Amino acid sequence: MNKKLAEELELTFKDIEVSTPEDTKIEIFAHKAQAITILRFLKDKGYNHLALISCVDWIEKAEFELVYILTPYLQDYEAYKKLGDIHLKIRISRENPETGTVISIFPNAEPYEREIHELFGIKFAGHPRLTHLLLERDYEIPPFRKDFDTREYVEDVFGSIPPIKEEEE
Amino acid sequence: MREVELYFGPQHLGMVGNFSITLKVEGDRILEATSNPGYLHRGFEKLMEYRTWIQNFPLVCRINVVEPDHMEMVYAMAVEKLANIEVPERAHWIRSIYLELARVGSHLFGLWAYSNMLGFDTVAQWAMYHRDLILDLFEELTGGRVYHIYIWPGGVRRDFPDGFANKIVKTLHSIGKCVPDYDDTFFNNPLFYERAHDIGKITQEEAKEWGGVGQVLRATGVPYDIRKVEPYAAYNKVDFKIPTREEGDAYSRIWVIRDELIESVHLIFKLLDNLPEGEVYNRVPNPFKWRVPKGEAYVRVESSRGELGLYMVSNGEDKPYRVHFRTPSYPHGLTILEKVLKGASIADVGNAMISLYVVAPEIDR
Repeated sequence: MNKKLAEELELTFKDIEVSTPEDTKIEIFAHKAQAITILRFLKDKGYNHLALISCVDWIEKAEFELVYILTPYLQDYEAYKKLGDIHLKIRISRENPETGTVISIFPNAEPYEREIHELFGIKFAGHPRLTHLLLERDYEIPPFRKDFDTREYVEDVFGSIPPIKEEEE
Repeated sequence: MREVELYFGPQHLGMVGNFSITLKVEGDRILEATSNPGYLHRGFEKLMEYRTWIQNFPLVCRINVVEPDHMEMVYAMAVEKLANIEVPERAHWIRSIYLELARVGSHLFGLWAYSNMLGFDTVAQWAMYHRDLILDLFEELTGGRVYHIYIWPGGVRRDFPDGFANKIVKTLHSIGKCVPDYDDTFFNNPLFYERAHDIGKITQEEAKEWGGVGQVLRATGVPYDIRKVEPYAAYNKVDFKIPTREEGDAYSRIWVIRDELIESVHLIFKLLDNLPEGEVYNRVPNPFKWRVPKGEAYVRVESSRGELGLYMVSNGEDKPYRVHFRTPSYPHGLTILEKVLKGASIADVGNAMISLYVVAPEIDR
């Protein structure tokens, strides 16, 4: 089943890389414009649970990697073994970090995309509210990027409070 | 009537935890609700990128204050998967017992929060007392009451002390004896039904569409449980039931929690009866020099709130490259809560939120 779906994916979509690194996992590398059609295709195939959207900052390659983890809502291991998980990965350049939202397919993507926008600075075109979720203000470099130095930030922000002087008498 | 914006929480009697909801109300009808997390954002996932694989444990368990144990488990599982570490058989069973104890403690805490919010103070005090008995067990086993850091990659930190299994049985029996009291005072009480039925009601389709897991989904009739779907530890070696209800409202969610509590206790007895002998720990490399092989892993467990996942990336260094927790409260508190509050009354906000079992530190991380 796993292999069959992988073949079907390769036939349906052009220029995607499909691999099955584990028995219960299919990994797909795709272009960012294809993400939404692939997700729609997979949802119709029974992968109806978007577990997570994660983001990894590959700073040496100057790219962000968005990972959509899809699993089916199933009830036992026998059924799960046949379908497994899907990791859909898309790469976004660091210079122009923008991609489309997938809320129309998975409504629970909304807070994940909001968080990634806030912590990595990736824009999701069509997202209804890209406002702050966890933080309260903007940072020059979004704080979860690899070039944001937490220690330097702590030093700058909290190290500058003047020490309390003891009064001499 | 005039529209008013109302700030509900983080300092509010009907609210448990550091979380707030901005409500747009007309009279006492809610037109729109907006969740505001972030009061407890400590940036753990970023901090973990600066610490070695073992040093991260004290951070991991603080992500969810109520049940740190499943957090340890999911982190240990991810490291084991990346570094290909085997876990001894006895450690698997001890992990399961330990995680079920955590589930019992966490559900009792949840029961405290819910009954306290409804004004059933007596039941709340009982639940808190009984949770304390579970914490005593944890203290004896691990040295810590709230944060235990007991599960490590490769097994568990130490074996059960002498006579510990008997103590678990005795403690659980003393809690179990009070189940009829809980039922009479709370679960079968018409006041509980009147306050909770039809609150925060969602259908099965909606629950799936909005990413619901755990009790939220099981209360709509779907027996979705990671312990069955993708078994870990020793869960595929014992038989247990997944309690479900059909209605999908606050009343059925709390009933699912009650049934799960009892099922967990039975599960602990079954696990204790068949606990194998042997080692509890496989040695891992020197933690100061440990480099976990390159790769990525997504692992998940069933925490007491639902599917808890962890996406971890290693680039072959002595520290993780990226850690991202998929916590069950995230879709419940940010997506489902906003949807179910639309059209509800102000008096039901705390009721809906606590019945969705939202724990704020889990969202903020």
